[in-house]
Amino acid sequence: MSYAIETHDLQYHAGKTFELGPLGLRVPTGSIYGFLGPNGSGKTTTIRLSLGLLRPDRGSVRVVGHDVPRQTHQMFARVGYVPERPHLYPTLSVAEALAFHGAFHPRWDATAARELLDTFGLARDTRVGHLSKGETGKLLMLLAIAQRPDLLVLDEPTDGLDPVVRRDVLMALIDYVSETGATVFISSHLVHELERICDWIGVMDRGRLVAEVPMHSFKNGIKRLRVRNAPAQTGDPPFVLLARERGDGASGTELWVVRGWQPTMRQYFEGIGAVLQDVIDLDLEEGFVELLRTARVPQGS
Amino acid sequence: MFEEIDPRNPVPLYDQIAARIRLAVASGDLGEGDALPSVRQLAARLRINPATVVQAYRALEREGFVEMRQGSGTYVRGVSSDRRRQTREDQAARLVRGVLTEAARLGIPGTEVARALQREMGTRAP
Repeated sequence: MSYAIETHDLQYHAGKTFELGPLGLRVPTGSIYGFLGPNGSGKTTTIRLSLGLLRPDRGSVRVVGHDVPRQTHQMFARVGYVPERPHLYPTLSVAEALAFHGAFHPRWDATAARELLDTFGLARDTRVGHLSKGETGKLLMLLAIAQRPDLLVLDEPTDGLDPVVRRDVLMALIDYVSETGATVFISSHLVHELERICDWIGVMDRGRLVAEVPMHSFKNGIKRLRVRNAPAQTGDPPFVLLARERGDGASGTELWVVRGWQPTMRQYFEGIGAVLQDVIDLDLEEGFVELLRTARVPQGS
Repeated sequence: MFEEIDPRNPVPLYDQIAARIRLAVASGDLGEGDALPSVRQLAARLRINPATVVQAYRALEREGFVEMRQGSGTYVRGVSSDRRRQTREDQAARLVRGVLTEAARLGIPGTEVARALQREMGTRAP
């Protein structure tokens, strides 16, 4: 497999309190990779390190085949970036912003830019500083797409936008990916949105990458089980028991959070004299919450 | 046709899309030679990964429901009435299994579900 973003042993610190890594991130070429994590977990820092906008303490980064920071210029010719905070000159008009941005990008597609202006309903003579939040979000996505990148790096591109704008922005993104097969690396708090579009998931917590898996294995692997009459000693279960808690129903009922569940594992419960009452599927958001919760608390406590 | 596609459902998205199209063929909503939306159109419309749409179309092609023509699109193939009936029956069985599982979860015995089903069928047009 080839990777659009690949970091090895990446480490960084800011002040005395924030430490990141060592981080081995691998974003498969052609994937739509969702980058999840609570506030302050290091998502934006990882993105900035990957794009050569911060210098790591140690470790290496390769993005679309170029070493960062040594070949940052060549890399940026092939990468569209929507930063968390807009980086546009407020006094330019929309049309001027397009011309300015296009001048830096060898593959700039003026036709696509014009079409997206229409799709997004953006007026060319509006000053960038006068655009609403939603219009700014659209313009940023337009600029990233019209440079025809092989990789789009999107740092919360739709967070804080209204549903209609989000929909327009995502449709434009997906249309571009359908056409070109470009890789997308997208960080967001809107987990349900990521659940629709992503085929890979990376989860950050406290400066570390705690999971990096295909979406379907992430969603299939974590389950909540309702178990009755479970003995204190669980023996050697065939799955990873992440947490064990009292259930809210009848006494003697427990909820187990497990990883690596398979339907054939029901037999295990007969073996320990317990009754498996229910296997509860988790969606991406619940799975994400359970993963973080159980990653932080030592097992069995 | 794809309104009920739910990314939070544990059934994989590609499976949900394939099932929806399979049933549209089984019920006659889609007939031989009808074109499915292009991968690009459907992915953008549902805001899902284009690879998911391709995966759904490939599964349907393997099962003989559609044909993917290079550079042209994806078209519904002729499906025998036996196969269409079988597809509907499979789906009916799946729906009932879902109801029974949910009922068991809520502590309602299967016999009571069966009686409720009989009653509902008596009061509704088929």
